[in-house]
Amino acid sequence: MDFASLAVQLNAGTIVPEAIVLITLMTVVVSDLIIGRQASAQWTPYIAIAGLLASVVALFYQWDVANPISFIGEFNGDALSVVFRGIIALSAATTILMSIRYVIQSGTSLAEFITILLTATLGGMFLSGSDELVAVYVSLETLSISSYLLTGYTKRDPRSNEAALKYLLIGASSSAIFLYGASLLYGLSGGETRLSTISASIASAGLAQSIGLVIALVFAIAGIAFKIAAVPFHQWTPDVYEGSPTPVVAFLSVGSKAAGFALAIRLLVTAFPLVSEQWQLVMTTLAILSMVLGNVVALAQTSMKRLLAYSSIGQAGFVMIGLILGTDAGYSSMVFYLMVYLFMNLGAFTCIILFTLRTGTDQISEYAGLYQKDPLLTLALSVCLLSLGGIPPLAGFFGKLYLFWAGWQAGAYPLVILGLVTSVISIYYYIRVVKMMVVKEPQEMSDSVKNYPPTDWTLPGMRPLQVGLVSALIATSLAGIFSNPLFTLANDSVLKTPMLQQALGRSKAPIAKQMAPTISQQLSLQITEVSTKKAVSLPKSMVHS
Amino acid sequence: MNLAEGVQIVSFGILAAMMLGAAIGVVLLENIVYSAFLLGGVFISIAGIYLLLNADFVAAAQVLIYVGAVNVLILFAIMLVNKRQDFQPLRRGWIRKAATAVVCAGIFALLSTMIVSTPWAISTATPAGDASVVVIGLHFFSDFLLPFELASVLLLMALIGAVVLARREFLPDDEADRAQVEALRLPERPRELVPSGRDETVN
Repeated sequence: MDFASLAVQLNAGTIVPEAIVLITLMTVVVSDLIIGRQASAQWTPYIAIAGLLASVVALFYQWDVANPISFIGEFNGDALSVVFRGIIALSAATTILMSIRYVIQSGTSLAEFITILLTATLGGMFLSGSDELVAVYVSLETLSISSYLLTGYTKRDPRSNEAALKYLLIGASSSAIFLYGASLLYGLSGGETRLSTISASIASAGLAQSIGLVIALVFAIAGIAFKIAAVPFHQWTPDVYEGSPTPVVAFLSVGSKAAGFALAIRLLVTAFPLVSEQWQLVMTTLAILSMVLGNVVALAQTSMKRLLAYSSIGQAGFVMIGLILGTDAGYSSMVFYLMVYLFMNLGAFTCIILFTLRTGTDQISEYAGLYQKDPLLTLALSVCLLSLGGIPPLAGFFGKLYLFWAGWQAGAYPLVILGLVTSVISIYYYIRVVKMMVVKEPQEMSDSVKNYPPTDWTLPGMRPLQVGLVSALIATSLAGIFSNPLFTLANDSVLKTPMLQQALGRSKAPIAKQMAPTISQQLSLQITEVSTKKAVSLPKSMVHS
Repeated sequence: MNLAEGVQIVSFGILAAMMLGAAIGVVLLENIVYSAFLLGGVFISIAGIYLLLNADFVAAAQVLIYVGAVNVLILFAIMLVNKRQDFQPLRRGWIRKAATAVVCAGIFALLSTMIVSTPWAISTATPAGDASVVVIGLHFFSDFLLPFELASVLLLMALIGAVVLARREFLPDDEADRAQVEALRLPERPRELVPSGRDETVN
């Protein structure tokens, strides 16, 4: 293989968005090194935000790319990965907006923070598109190790140290378990590492019903569930969320989680179609546990960060409903909910960062009477929390509506009813915070609010925070009513993704060509039998033949 | 059975016994320094098994990375933590140990049943043997190019992160007194200890 043909086969154009992030990262590191810490803090964050937005623009041009498979099967830049990469890049950009003031005030250096955050973004973006076990593992570790470092970034605070250590230990063991599952897949398929060929090789070796495949599945799910913080792999979440710097928590709860969901879809749909009944069962259990435990335990929280930690566990449970259904509407409702979740959750975190910076606390009781002193903050936080709870005109309502509608269509009635019940529970604890801020009389004001400093947006780093706050507020309140573009985007991303269409048995996607024809036929029949109720496109006689 | 097979079986037996003995020692010995040295023994035995499997490059990498770097680092960490503290033996500590043993035995039984009962799909590719370094290099620069390059980003970031965690912070003079108290900490005040036990009980 000579160089020219190799360059053609690599098809490196699909990773232009990641290359932009990488160049931004190197610019930040080198310029910080050259011009020094004080001067670089003035403008490195803006370079990083510009780079991330440029990367989103580059993703826009990746939407309709003819050949999404690049690096000889390592990376698959299909429409689904484009959407997830966009969500991750946007969440990183918003995180940088809200982190500037926070990092300056905590006395840590800004350029290194941004460097590590950009590396985490890079890992997450590659994870959403990786189509091969080694690439999946390396990008997963890039995301995880940067997250551990970010968690421990305020290094003189014992809470931050504890959070980083807990996250590191639990994360390292879960990624070791994931690696063991990946090695079982490698062994069962006779030395295949590409996700799209693994299931065909396993089927042709006659191992479709072996216990080894089920163990590989369970181990892989353990690794994924840790990333998306699904119960019972959630134990790290409250402590890590409480001890990490708040912008990091915002990134972990949106960017890192979106990357985990992208990995979940790709791995479960392409590598485990032979055991799709089993993985749907396991994921259903995880979804039920997450919705119940996340939302119920959140009721008892007194700290805002812990409240959002448990609420994010519950939200992950809602999103998993879409994953389990195995229909077009299921996957696209999941993508749509994640897009909406990006705005409302990051908005909520921007608000609690602003409150923390003013008062130095995140106790819910300290929010009492905030309405009198800071109407903008109260409005933004109320809108974001109500949207997270799913109150009608806001974005979160439409996200949940679509999820539950898709579930109802697919016949997952118990899951949808449980989702509705836990949503009602979640509305209670979100409204508790809103009530604390709005309803209290002036004499019931908490001490922090009584001593609330006057708003000064001219301090370094406050302006970006204001921009983040206002744009999250606008997005959360309007994304529901004007949700059509997002809705179309989510639907198209599913319809244009060959992997999902093939799994749904709808069309013969390009991936199918790589398998032997008999196997692919046999496979798609099995998949349609077990995973979808929408398999009407295949005549019944064909399914049974 | 010819001579070569006999040598292989005998050396596999010796390596396996060494590895198991050392691994059990790592877990059971009280003195952590002994555990660390025995861990080196485990790594070397694994390298020997790689050699038996004709994977000489992996064996060399195993010795260089695990014994030469990881294990030495563990020993450094142990030696640097200069804290003498007698641990109170836990009451009913044996229950914990017994539960761990039961769980480990269960996982071992499950995995070994799986390994024995599965008819593994053996790859039909010819083993690389002595040319393995060349084959690995070719893979790195063709179909594993993406993870290989991404690993370099990962290492760069790990380097920066290690410096961030380990360096002595330079605090500007005018803020020195304030910074002593507040720098490098979370802006949130720690919670009072009273409500902190609440959700642990629910958990």
